[in-house]
Amino acid sequence: MSALIFIFGPILLAALVGWMGRKDGAWVRYVALALFTLLLAYALWLLRHVPHGGYLSLGEFLNVPAFKFALTLQVDTLSAIMLLLTATLLLLVGLSSWTIDRPGPYFALLILFSGPIVGVFATTSLLWFFIFWELTLVPMVFLVGIWGAERRIYAAVKFFLYTHFASMLILLAFFLIYAQSGVFDMTQLKESMLLTPALVWWLLFIGFAVKMPIFPFHTWLPDAHVQAPAPVSVLLAGVLLKMGAYAMIRMAMLMMPEQAHRHAWVVLTLGLITLFYAGFMAIYETHLKKMVAYSSISHMGLVTVAIATLGFGGLSAALFEMIGHALIISPLFLIAGFLHHRTGSWQMGDMGGLMQKAPWLSAVFVLAGLAALGLPGTAGFIGELSILIASIHRFGLWMAVVAIASMVGAGYIIWTFRRVIYGEISRAVETNDFSMNRVEFAALVIFSVLILWFGLFPSQLFSIINGAFDALHATGGAL
Amino acid sequence: MISAFSILLTSAILSPLLWRTEKMLKPSALLVTLIALLFSSKAVGLAGFAPSAAGTLFTLVLLIVLAAVILHTEEALTVTQTLFLGAAAVALLQSRSLLAFLIAFEAVSLVSVVLTSHIRTPEQAEGAVKIFVAGAVATGILMLGAFFYTLSGGRLLEPLTTTPNYYGTAGIVIMLLGLFYKLTIVPMHAWAADTYALVRSDHAALLAGAAKTAAALAAFLMFAPALKEMVSLSVPLLVTLALLTMTVGNFMALFQKRVAKILAWSSVAHAGYMLLGFAAVQSALAKTGLLYMVVAYLFMQSGVFLVLDRWRKEGKETLEEIAGFGTTHPLMALFFTVQLFSLAGIPLLAGFMGKAVLFYAGVDAGLWWAVLIALLNSALSVGYYIWVVRYLWFHETKEKKALVSEKGSVVAAQSLLLAGTLFFGIFAGVVFNAAG
Repeated sequence: MSALIFIFGPILLAALVGWMGRKDGAWVRYVALALFTLLLAYALWLLRHVPHGGYLSLGEFLNVPAFKFALTLQVDTLSAIMLLLTATLLLLVGLSSWTIDRPGPYFALLILFSGPIVGVFATTSLLWFFIFWELTLVPMVFLVGIWGAERRIYAAVKFFLYTHFASMLILLAFFLIYAQSGVFDMTQLKESMLLTPALVWWLLFIGFAVKMPIFPFHTWLPDAHVQAPAPVSVLLAGVLLKMGAYAMIRMAMLMMPEQAHRHAWVVLTLGLITLFYAGFMAIYETHLKKMVAYSSISHMGLVTVAIATLGFGGLSAALFEMIGHALIISPLFLIAGFLHHRTGSWQMGDMGGLMQKAPWLSAVFVLAGLAALGLPGTAGFIGELSILIASIHRFGLWMAVVAIASMVGAGYIIWTFRRVIYGEISRAVETNDFSMNRVEFAALVIFSVLILWFGLFPSQLFSIINGAFDALHATGGAL
Repeated sequence: MISAFSILLTSAILSPLLWRTEKMLKPSALLVTLIALLFSSKAVGLAGFAPSAAGTLFTLVLLIVLAAVILHTEEALTVTQTLFLGAAAVALLQSRSLLAFLIAFEAVSLVSVVLTSHIRTPEQAEGAVKIFVAGAVATGILMLGAFFYTLSGGRLLEPLTTTPNYYGTAGIVIMLLGLFYKLTIVPMHAWAADTYALVRSDHAALLAGAAKTAAALAAFLMFAPALKEMVSLSVPLLVTLALLTMTVGNFMALFQKRVAKILAWSSVAHAGYMLLGFAAVQSALAKTGLLYMVVAYLFMQSGVFLVLDRWRKEGKETLEEIAGFGTTHPLMALFFTVQLFSLAGIPLLAGFMGKAVLFYAGVDAGLWWAVLIALLNSALSVGYYIWVVRYLWFHETKEKKALVSEKGSVVAAQSLLLAGTLFFGIFAGVVFNAAG
């Protein structure tokens, strides 16, 4: 029942507070924060109670025997970790949106988003997974379309259409799975039950690749990221992209190991292309937020490479990098949005010398930036290193090229520092006030602490993450 | 014999007596639909008619939607016609013999034509003439098909069966083509977009909602056994027409400026999805899928056309004119948006489940490539639905006005339709049980 409350409760709550708080509704912020705190507590509770290498059943609802269409709620360590990450980010996104216009409807939409996203990670029924997967799009479109920047409508419509088209492939794959195996529950499904596994695999892969996003399906993301308000960009990068990676690991890989092996080279190739292509695009960018967006795509390329290893080490590394990436990219987006708000420009050239005006803000930016390029002592380093090790282990020494990507990362990050943080103080920076709201700054501090904490004590995170792939470990570490 | 049919028919005939007493007509018509609801599982009571579980569920839904239309409308004439339409539709859903089907089908068509004859403007006249001509042609073709069918030895007083000669097959195909006129299947669709867009929107709600869905479900119940027997001919024909219909409907809708036109073409596209259910007749879930689709479609299509009716009364009907209605007409815009999302197939709304079950039936029948095209079509359709949503919520209003308050009965009607869309979006078991 409890999981059902966290899935459908927010939808009803959002309708209620959205209507009551439609005029101003500053109080809705507190409702949202309270809900996200509860969700965080619930995710922690789940993580403690998930059995080792198995599923914690949370019940089965709305059963339709004729179609095996039941909302089966089951959580394993992987989904509990994703829920924990989501709840943390939602809380921090809530804090960083403290001064947004029209907080009533905005926070109602955040609440609306929090329901289906729990469903995505908590259900093992393929059809219900799809239902929640699609449902997360609706609040996102409104968040981007109403609170976004100048070309927000174009970005919102493009985002919706692009990801919806991809979802249709996923739905067809689920239908084929059910038609051939008679099973909607992913825990009961075996690849050998499928007549056309290759077709199903490709449909799933392309569908999830759009969400992740992997080259060449990434073109929706820079637009959506740039036009979205900064906290929503955090949600996109931290939660929506992770949904893609989660589904890729869970369905395209773990559920269909044989096809995954057969097509590992496709995943690897596209991952490497994504890694380098997006990295070079980021170097080329002068638009601060677009730079961050491309860096985000580049890091998802890294995650893809890790997924392609199809092993215990690689998948654990991928999960670590997913969490690290969420923590690192979020402050970068938040600060980029903040700078745009103050200077009225997105161009890095207009922002020089920030360190002299806003040293604390700059410090957070530098920390997150260094973590993004993989500085030892930060979560980014651990993620990149463990992916490098896992991929060399799996594919041979030539995978050292992944390390070169880190240098590309160093290129765009350090050059960004040069243009934004240091250098001559620019007119836009000199004439504007960069004082920050305390609540918003608190969110940045929490991100920084987490980046350092998991960088210095990675074993704490790894001890949880490794539990997610326990079953793999038992079979020798490979799918 | 007391049944939903006799109650609706009697009250429809008697209702003009209440036309002069403006306050009495709507409450008594609502009461009648409520009573008819209680008797919806009872047989019509004439030879050739018998109730079925699927038909009964659909009758229930239909009566709820007709109650919403009655709540919404302000005109006495429309109330009476709605009751007539209800009676004809109930008979159509219960028809078991070919003769009963043909008569009830023509009754629904006739009420539809009469409905549009409620003319105030030249545009409405154009819409009415189009449905009249198309209806006459369709009736002719249907009768021609029935004639061929009887030539082959088919019996009018019995359910439709395949007969092993060419006349029988030709008769069934010709009859289907006549039906497809009413179901707005391409290339027999040309009248529909104009009619739905030009006639008054509350009438369009009845035409595109109630009349079309009742005809689609009844036609499926009548023709499915025969279609199953002749799959080598029927499946290629039906799949081609279905894909053609949804593609033409969606692409045409993409280029429209007037909301009514968008909805009209989207109605054509939905007819294509429904026809996919006919093509997937070999699957055990085809009937469930079609039943789900028509139930969902009835709620959402009636919902959007009734909201549009309110806005057209204010003289707003292009996308530019409804821009920013999210701030000036928040309640109606919200109803409209949810129903549009349902039409687009966004989950937890009935429209998604309707499409999902129907498309699954297609996969089950081995037509996965056709379902892929249908799914991509559905994704394409989101393009124009979200375009409308964009104008409603993301644009500023041209003239700054205070909030527009709505009449209680209109809000009640919309709430009823919204409740249906939400209920059938989550509780799928009801439909599966009824389809058996």
